[in-house]
Amino acid sequence: MVEPAGPASAGLGPAGPAGEVAISVKGLTKSYGSFEAVRGIDFEVRRGEVLALLGPNGAGKTTCVEILEGYRRRDRGQVSVLGVDPERRDRGLRAKVGIVLQECAVDPYLTVTEAVTQRAGLYPSPRPVGEVIELVGLDDKAKARVKVLSGGQQRRLDLGLALVGNPELIFLDEPTTGFDPSARREAWDVVRGLCAEGRTVVLTTHYMDEAQELADTVTVIAAGRVVASGSPDTLGGRDHGQTQVRFGLPDGLSLGDLPLPGGVNPRVRAGFVEFSIAEPTEALHALTAWAIGRGEVLSGLAVNRPSLEDVYLELTGNAGQPDGASAQPDGASAQPDGGPAQPDGAWAQPAPRPTRGSDRGGPTS
Amino acid sequence: MGPTRTETDPGFRPWRPNVVNDLVVARDQVKYEQLAYWRNPMAAIFTFLFPIVFLVVVGSSAGSSRVAGTTLGYDQYVVVAMITFGLIAACYTNLGMTLSLRRDSGVLKRMRGTPISIGSYMGGIIGNVLINVALLTVLVVAIGMAFYHLHFPYHVVAVVVTLLVGIVTFCALGMAVTILITNADAAPAVINGIYFPIVFISGVFYPLGSTSVLSKIANYFPIRHLILALVSAFEGGPGSGFRIHDLVVMLIWAAAALLFTARRFRWEPRHR
Repeated sequence: MVEPAGPASAGLGPAGPAGEVAISVKGLTKSYGSFEAVRGIDFEVRRGEVLALLGPNGAGKTTCVEILEGYRRRDRGQVSVLGVDPERRDRGLRAKVGIVLQECAVDPYLTVTEAVTQRAGLYPSPRPVGEVIELVGLDDKAKARVKVLSGGQQRRLDLGLALVGNPELIFLDEPTTGFDPSARREAWDVVRGLCAEGRTVVLTTHYMDEAQELADTVTVIAAGRVVASGSPDTLGGRDHGQTQVRFGLPDGLSLGDLPLPGGVNPRVRAGFVEFSIAEPTEALHALTAWAIGRGEVLSGLAVNRPSLEDVYLELTGNAGQPDGASAQPDGASAQPDGGPAQPDGAWAQPAPRPTRGSDRGGPTS
Repeated sequence: MGPTRTETDPGFRPWRPNVVNDLVVARDQVKYEQLAYWRNPMAAIFTFLFPIVFLVVVGSSAGSSRVAGTTLGYDQYVVVAMITFGLIAACYTNLGMTLSLRRDSGVLKRMRGTPISIGSYMGGIIGNVLINVALLTVLVVAIGMAFYHLHFPYHVVAVVVTLLVGIVTFCALGMAVTILITNADAAPAVINGIYFPIVFISGVFYPLGSTSVLSKIANYFPIRHLILALVSAFEGGPGSGFRIHDLVVMLIWAAAALLFTARRFRWEPRHR
């Protein structure tokens, strides 16, 4: 694959002043029969931004995305995509939006070039077909029929088909599922390139590293609601959360012999000392100075922030639980006070959200 | 960041679909449907090989004795019946299979996410069918003229109009049958399960007495009427060769199928 921002595409790049709102969702709800799939969701995506929607299966993220794509009608709420209500199924809007669905859906008897050329013919200002095929790394398969492509190659073709219309906004539903690691890296490069060209990307994913790598904003949906939204580095208070410190307990010593700060509640597990602390600098200084002074080695010393995955599991584990039931194991928590995750800046929506007001303590299912 | 566009940029002009554009897209769609069709061995075998094989097998054992109620010999009748058989395979069976497979694999959903109009897309699919029926008819008629004493039809207009009414009817039925198909695995069973009993009682493989019980049942369905209308169009003699009554029955079926399709057609795989 190549960097997508080639000279040919740069001139055709999509538009809209950066920072302008590309997608706006307010109070969105959708039920299937008695099942409330989406229970009042609000978010905004700005032009040129990459939004990652995270959430367990059945959380409502696909329903949400399909409403934005114009496949489903909502029950209530306001939705605007590039200034248009997607429910109107406006062809002008569809010409500006690229969609990658989970299933690869291309006629198996066409070749890669034919499939991309066919798709390009549907759009007012498509990208050059050869450029798109190269962009998704299928140049050596250009003449191969779709049915002989591997699963990963078909997904890449799918991505190419979504890009050939030169879209301003791209929806990617789990775009790298089934990719090998190097194909994933290449797909990420493509997405970064799209972003660099000023295109807006909404992606759903199960991979935390994907969200971490690509997203400007991560919005976590669980049980039909937004449970957290923020940058990958601050989501759910990652930047404020406790740091975990872990090291091998030196032979012949016990916890009481170590110069640990008060109130950290240390424990020994499988020969390793573990504790969590809000600000580790001083404690580490004391600990390492003590070790050096004694000529000891703190084997396997590790200092970790909560990973995006920790935060995600924390957030989605809480959702759908009865009130106050916090699925919070120990110090790895993103919630220093054990309460609901609401550290400063982690919530992207300062506006009052009446749909959530009553269940701040943990959404009821 | 990439170039920021303003309203004055050429790439920023609002795009409005128009009829010319839609026709070009439909023509391209026909081209890709043809490419895919001829590369798909199953489609080509069922639509093209079967009618030809039946024609050779049944036609060779059929004598030239007159078929009751017509001026055609049995062997000539078989040629006309195989045109009907091929038309139904190309329209009803092929459309029913293609659309339910594409719906289940998400192709139709994908197309709905692009700016293509439903008219261009379905127009492309129907255009493909038209080409296939035309080719098959020419081929079957040529074989009939060469080996089975078929004369070039005296009523060419009636043949063409009857074929067009048949194409409309069986394409409409092909779209409608997808509504009864819950998933693509069940498609052949549903499509053929409906079609085979009717095709057998309609006199496609052997002539049917017009007063027989089977023929009375078959008269409720469109296949029998297509055969009778085509036989009339291929017969020589006075008149225009049209059988208006048969065409009307087919068009009633077509209208019902189109109405059912318009109301219930699904573009997406069934959910959960």
